[in-house]
Amino acid sequence: MNQSEEIREFVKKLLALKGDRQPFSDSSSIFLSGRLGSVDAVEVVVLLEDRFGIDFAEIGFDQALIDSIEAIQSLIRTAGTRS
Amino acid sequence: MSISAPAVTAQPASGWANRLAHLRLIPRIETYPSVVLFAQTDLGKLVMLVLFGLGLAYTGKDWWPLSIWLTLTTFLPDRRRLIVTAGTLSLAYLTQPSVHKAILITLILVVAGVLLRCAALWPRSLYGRRPLAFLLSGFVTLVVLASCISADATIYQPMWDFALTLATYVWFIGYSLLDRNAPDRDGFTLQVGTYRPFWGSTNTPFVKGAAYLRRIEARHAEGLAVTQLKGLKLLTWLIMVSFFGKFYDYCIYDRLHVPLFDHALSLSVSRAPLPWYTCWASLIAGFLGSIISITIWGNRFVACCRMAGFNALRNTYRPLSSRTVAEFFNRYYFYFKELLVEFFFYPTFLRYFKRNRRLRLITATFAAACFGNALFHFCRDLTFVQKLGLPGALVGFQVYLFYCVALATAISISQLRKRDPNAAGFIRGQLLPSVSVALFYCLLDIFGSTQRNYPLTEHFRFLAHLFNINI
Repeated sequence: MNQSEEIREFVKKLLALKGDRQPFSDSSSIFLSGRLGSVDAVEVVVLLEDRFGIDFAEIGFDQALIDSIEAIQSLIRTAGTRS
Repeated sequence: MSISAPAVTAQPASGWANRLAHLRLIPRIETYPSVVLFAQTDLGKLVMLVLFGLGLAYTGKDWWPLSIWLTLTTFLPDRRRLIVTAGTLSLAYLTQPSVHKAILITLILVVAGVLLRCAALWPRSLYGRRPLAFLLSGFVTLVVLASCISADATIYQPMWDFALTLATYVWFIGYSLLDRNAPDRDGFTLQVGTYRPFWGSTNTPFVKGAAYLRRIEARHAEGLAVTQLKGLKLLTWLIMVSFFGKFYDYCIYDRLHVPLFDHALSLSVSRAPLPWYTCWASLIAGFLGSIISITIWGNRFVACCRMAGFNALRNTYRPLSSRTVAEFFNRYYFYFKELLVEFFFYPTFLRYFKRNRRLRLITATFAAACFGNALFHFCRDLTFVQKLGLPGALVGFQVYLFYCVALATAISISQLRKRDPNAAGFIRGQLLPSVSVALFYCLLDIFGSTQRNYPLTEHFRFLAHLFNINI
């Protein structure tokens, strides 16, 4: 499973836990649209910390950074470049 | 947790329960192409503004200044954010009872500007890294100093006036400080537009800060039409809720003569309690009444915000359908929860106890739902500090402090427990969890008072009396 698929599956699982089985694209807003909320954002944060070594305490956290699959991928790329 | 359109359902329930869950009293007009097209024409915009203005007039007296600013944001979308600032400032100054108050607001805006500028100039300094902590600790220090000054001193009244006015702006300034590092951050002029914006707000920023407004702003004519149609729908919904609220009050209080909760509590304090079942009725009636009330006033702000072209999420969205304590907290008063999450939860969660997942979540939850919640309400009701003195106000705060501890404990447990999305059936999957959650918040409401009227023991006495235990 590649990076995008892994993130997509993770988000899909979070949405399913909330009873949301609507489709979403890589550019779909998942937090600002209200489909997922702040507590779900924590799950994504933990995944990004554990799996990709991103330290939000250092770079600063904003829900917009993880609002879509594309945004998350971009964040991972930026963090990779930085380290 | 989501509070927007997608309904949160345990599992698709069958039959009448499913149909009831998906019943729509107001059609989704924003999905009708012909309606959206019409809403983009000048005539369509005018029709929407008139209908919205009528709705506003029914729900409040401030309909005409609101209608003026909404007309401007509708017909001048390229200048929307500037118009929001102009509307916000005009209402802030024109509604003040005295020049003195207007000067205070100016002073606070200057302070906000200086704080933002300093954070931008020295991002690596101690202040630049933690401006929010400086803002809040500075505000608390100001309150402590003001409470130490003798009432006869010349500086006493000006200092309290400043503290009391700052208390109404502090969280708005906080959102601006949170936005300081965003690459696309707004200048101070646009930030000011979010400080008690013209569509209305409490001390809780509706709808959050400039960063949020940037992201939810309608970018094109179709987006604006859809957002405004959603605003109109929301206003229609809250008018329906307000009709229901009047009917509810008539049935519960006028016909059934259920006593108000405050009255039932005061009788319990004076050792002449009402029968336990009447106390239950009073508590439940008050709890449901508070849901109706917050749905009306909170969503009115959001409806106006949508009409101004910002697709904000609702403030209250089906709280009684919540299956967990944490979900209810999210659905009941979304913008207050967001404040606690952004100012207290995330900063704590991202910094502390990273190796222990549970401890990390519990600490962050307590930072938000307990500490942040208590701090917000203590700062909101500063007049008690002025009236009772700091020690008296702190002692009197014991009841709400207990509320915060109990709430944070329950939310922590709720978050740590595994959610069961596959709980089968309507009764086990939806009804029982929802009733349990509502019952918890209903009982917690006994301790939800910030009025400092009675000690904590009196609230416990009332709780015990509900179960026919008289202590």
